[in-house]
Amino acid sequence: MNNATYSSLLELAAGLVILCAFVTLWRRSLSAIVRALSVQGVALGIVALVLGLHRHDAVLITVGGLVIAAKGAVIPTLLRRVLANDSRNRETSPLVNVPASLVGAGALTFLAYGATRSVVALVPTSAGRLIPLGLATLLIGFFSMVIRRKAASQIVGLLLVDNGIALVAFLATAGVPLLVELGASLDVLLVVVVLRVLAVQLSSKFAVLDLDQLQGLHD
Amino acid sequence: MNGFAHLLTSALVALVQLALVAVGGPLLLGVMRKVRSRLEGRVGAPIHQPLLDLRKLFTKQRMRPRESSWLFGVGPLVLVATVVCVSAISPLATTRPPLGQSTDFFAVIFALLLGSVVLALAALDTGTAFAGMGSSRSMTIGALCEPALLVAILAMAIPARTSNLPALVRAGLGHPALIASPSRVLALASFLVVILAESGRLPVDNPSTHLELTMIHEAMVLEYSGPDLGLIILGESMRLAFLLGLLVNLLVPWGVANRPGALFFVIGLAALAAKVLVTGVAIATFEVFTAKMRLFRLPELLAGGFVLALLGAVTAVVAR
Amino acid sequence: MNHVSVLISVLAGLTATVAGGALPIRSRVGVAVLLTWVSCSAALVAAVSVLRSGHAIVMSTSKILPLTGISIVLTRLGAVFVLAIVMVALASTLYWIGYASHGLSTRSASSALPLFVTSMILVPFAGGVATFLVLWELMALTSLVLVLTDQSRREAARSAAQWYAVMTHAGAAAILLALVLLSAHAGGQTFAQIELHARHLSGALRGTIFVLALLGFASKAGAVPLHVWLPKAHAEAPGPASALMSGAMVNLGIYGIILVGNVLLGGGPVWWWLLVSALGVLSALYGALYAATTSDLKRLLAYSTADNMGLVLIALGASGMFAASGSRTTAAIAMVAALLLMFNHSLFKGALFLAAGAVQMVTGTRDLDRLGGLLKRMPVTGVVFLIGALSVAALPPLNGFVGEWLLLQSLLHALPSTNTAVVITVAVAVAALALTGGLTVAAFVKAMGIGFLGRPRSEEASNALEVPATMQLGAGLLALSCLALGLVPMLILPSLELGARSAQHIGVSSPVHGWISLHLFGLRGVLAPSLLAGGLFVALMATVLARRVSHRRSRSWPALAPVEPWGSGRRTQTVRMQYTSTSFAEPLQRVFDDVIRPARDLNVSPAAESHYYVERIAYRTSSDDVIERVIYQPLIVAVRRWGRLARKLQNGSVHRYLAYGLLALVIVLVVLA
Repeated sequence: MNNATYSSLLELAAGLVILCAFVTLWRRSLSAIVRALSVQGVALGIVALVLGLHRHDAVLITVGGLVIAAKGAVIPTLLRRVLANDSRNRETSPLVNVPASLVGAGALTFLAYGATRSVVALVPTSAGRLIPLGLATLLIGFFSMVIRRKAASQIVGLLLVDNGIALVAFLATAGVPLLVELGASLDVLLVVVVLRVLAVQLSSKFAVLDLDQLQGLHD
Repeated sequence: MNGFAHLLTSALVALVQLALVAVGGPLLLGVMRKVRSRLEGRVGAPIHQPLLDLRKLFTKQRMRPRESSWLFGVGPLVLVATVVCVSAISPLATTRPPLGQSTDFFAVIFALLLGSVVLALAALDTGTAFAGMGSSRSMTIGALCEPALLVAILAMAIPARTSNLPALVRAGLGHPALIASPSRVLALASFLVVILAESGRLPVDNPSTHLELTMIHEAMVLEYSGPDLGLIILGESMRLAFLLGLLVNLLVPWGVANRPGALFFVIGLAALAAKVLVTGVAIATFEVFTAKMRLFRLPELLAGGFVLALLGAVTAVVAR
Repeated sequence: MNHVSVLISVLAGLTATVAGGALPIRSRVGVAVLLTWVSCSAALVAAVSVLRSGHAIVMSTSKILPLTGISIVLTRLGAVFVLAIVMVALASTLYWIGYASHGLSTRSASSALPLFVTSMILVPFAGGVATFLVLWELMALTSLVLVLTDQSRREAARSAAQWYAVMTHAGAAAILLALVLLSAHAGGQTFAQIELHARHLSGALRGTIFVLALLGFASKAGAVPLHVWLPKAHAEAPGPASALMSGAMVNLGIYGIILVGNVLLGGGPVWWWLLVSALGVLSALYGALYAATTSDLKRLLAYSTADNMGLVLIALGASGMFAASGSRTTAAIAMVAALLLMFNHSLFKGALFLAAGAVQMVTGTRDLDRLGGLLKRMPVTGVVFLIGALSVAALPPLNGFVGEWLLLQSLLHALPSTNTAVVITVAVAVAALALTGGLTVAAFVKAMGIGFLGRPRSEEASNALEVPATMQLGAGLLALSCLALGLVPMLILPSLELGARSAQHIGVSSPVHGWISLHLFGLRGVLAPSLLAGGLFVALMATVLARRVSHRRSRSWPALAPVEPWGSGRRTQTVRMQYTSTSFAEPLQRVFDDVIRPARDLNVSPAAESHYYVERIAYRTSSDDVIERVIYQPLIVAVRRWGRLARKLQNGSVHRYLAYGLLALVIVLVVLA
């Protein structure tokens, strides 16, 4: 793989990761959001694969393959199962309306860009330059957890955060140790499973999956 | 003598490009309608039907609402004139159009905006409810399109270090890596959203609706008839063809004549026609599967377009 | 020679003031206008000669003002501002001749107007802190008098004047503090002395001075959130006065920022300019949004002034930031863009306010919902407004477009940059510029389309007649200059460049050059406004020809038959069915609902027989300034509360007053000990 192809492939894949993060904010239908998430997982895996191929790092290639399998297929499938239980699977009324949240996410992207200037200076490779995109994905994940009501949206936000961390880790270092990445992915998987159970219980008790209703417990 | 020959070639290039857009615009409309009707299981009108319609319209009487002023008659003229002007000097078939050195992307966009503004004013001049409604809605959409449009231009202009249109197209020819760069792809995606919104295609506006309350663009021109309506249809279709031509030349510049010579120019014309045709068919196919969005959902679409452009600009700066 | 023309300008201005106050009503306005012209022309001569030679005019006398004396210095920067002010002043005084019968021939008005013009012209001549402040105050006071002259709307005018008085004096206090701090630490009160020493002050002090001055001057320029007085005062002032305030006086706010930030303090760190740009972005967006949603013609223009000053501030901030981060060429271009945007704004906003004044004079209303069809009834005023509207919407081939293009180019070429602040500012600025542009287009399509086109919505509008020739001429002069500068920007650009260079010592000699096509120095950006306009014209003629040929070939119809509008087949189209300005703005208002938060009131009264039948629906919506409501009203309430508390301290008892005195004395002694 020559240098130009390597860096443009890397750029495209990293660009796809953040684009999918924006799509999760843009679309209202939860199934479309999950689809975006699975594309994001695949793009993340491709980042790892490309980096691994470029550095001839077998571990990184393996991680890439696993990421594609876990985040591109397994987790989205689980999420779809969660959604299948909820008939009203649209994020109808987020706390912040869609145009405003998109603009807010744009602002967060700039924040990520500004905040990582010094880090980028430390990693002067074509991979290092893309670190802001990873941080931006993380921030957008947090943001979407803040502004969305549905339990499933919260999981999506968490996954975005996780993907953002993974992207930064891939790009900043020679790659995350396999064990750490697997551990993190397992954590997320666990969370998804727990939430799935919770969701099933919530929907059987209250027939909705709206987190705002949890506030009722407080009063 | 050399100067005169140069002038003559420039004028010829301008005229040929202009003729292509003027004939191609209505034909593109015909093709898009044909594709749509075929996909919907109808036979549909022949592809050259819009040209026949135009010929018919030009044989009719010119009328104007009683209370309107001179602006009513000027609106369609300015609309057509702006498209004619920009399509003569833009890099459509060649990267060296007449006056190409000063064909600035911003200038082209603002010149086109002049056409829509004068048309919106002319609609208000009729003094009817529907025309006012169309004018108000089209100005609202225009205002919300603008951020996406200008930031998309910014994202394309940063790597090329200029907003000169021929230079932007040439930059794509010179550095194929630039074409596949995420900044350019994102910017052009946003540009496409803006084109669809500005030229009243689905999902923003349904060009074949017959219900005034859901109309945007059609409502604006309800009072026009005869040759004036013909000019508006011509101008709108030319604008769509022109903008798609720009889009495809920025996206896949191959085929555009990059050096002098009649043969290259002819190849450029053919390539342009083919690329625009493919895009038009793709848009028509997309329209079959799309419903019109609610007017107040449009900000979401356009904010999405804006964010695409913004991401393009960010990646352009990040990737350097 | 130059000294003489300055003297003539001052003396003629003062004589005009006296004449306006003393002469009988018939000759009052004519003489005052003539003398004001003399004053303007003399100032123009001085400004042009300074721009040409580069030698600043320096005069001083210690006779007139005690302690400090008067010092007059006109640099190239000041000369640029004099040019802009003189352009608007000449046109609006000419317009005043026709307008005078409309409440502007009273003694107070006809002496305040010349004095206002003269003091504005002289502000850029000020060479020292004391002179500057005196002229600044004179300008504020005379304009305050002018706001109060419209007798027909007494209540509104009085409230506007109150807001204006408070805001302008708060601003003046900030400016006073900044300039006094500056002269105290720089050891001298003339600007030349300050310029020499201000570089050596500590960073914190320089920052404090800049922020104070920025607050004061930005409030004069109408920057949000210090703008609240502007839509009130500019709307209530009578025609020529509002043109002068919006076209010329706001410029001096910009002048003040350049004077303190670039000249006296010699530029500063990035955060100063970030602050300026942020103010600019806020004003541009806020002003454009309110211009797009209001339905009062003059308030719309006033909000658009806040918007345009926002653009100037963006350019100014960008220029300072680029200079601070070391990119000289873009800094120079952005500075020229700032001055060009300001100059253009003077011309088109002057024209628009004069046209709006004419409409108000003829119809007696500024409410767009009661206007309509004026282009046919007032052809010249209508065309002036059309040119102004297209120009403020930054459309080619008018001058507004050139300024916006220059700003966009400077922003574009600042990227990619290594400075994070620059990158973020550029992206935000371009997005803000674009949204502002779109909203401005919508606002002015509304103003032109609802106000001047369609069918008249009231008796007054349908009976409107064109205004006197002097008024048409005054407004037309400004509209024609918009057109001229749009075709050949080089008529003014060299002067602006000289002014920019004298403000910013960064050694880029001519950042923009070329008569037919504008080239940017060292950058790839070319614009040929006259060729573009020519192309548009040729295309227009070709289209007309094509239509005529293709039309004639078919049959010989009568030219353009006026018929009843079709309106989707309704038999009768009443005037009330037309779109109004409120309905035109409704989609935008709904999109930006969260920002504007308009108060809506819907009353449905059902018929007596059944509540399914509706007898009457009353819908009321009002979108008053949200910043006024959220920031200023609580502030006013708080001040009132303090006022009441203070009243308790003062109950008229002599013993209590004596006790206060004793207490004060004791405290002073304790502190001293």
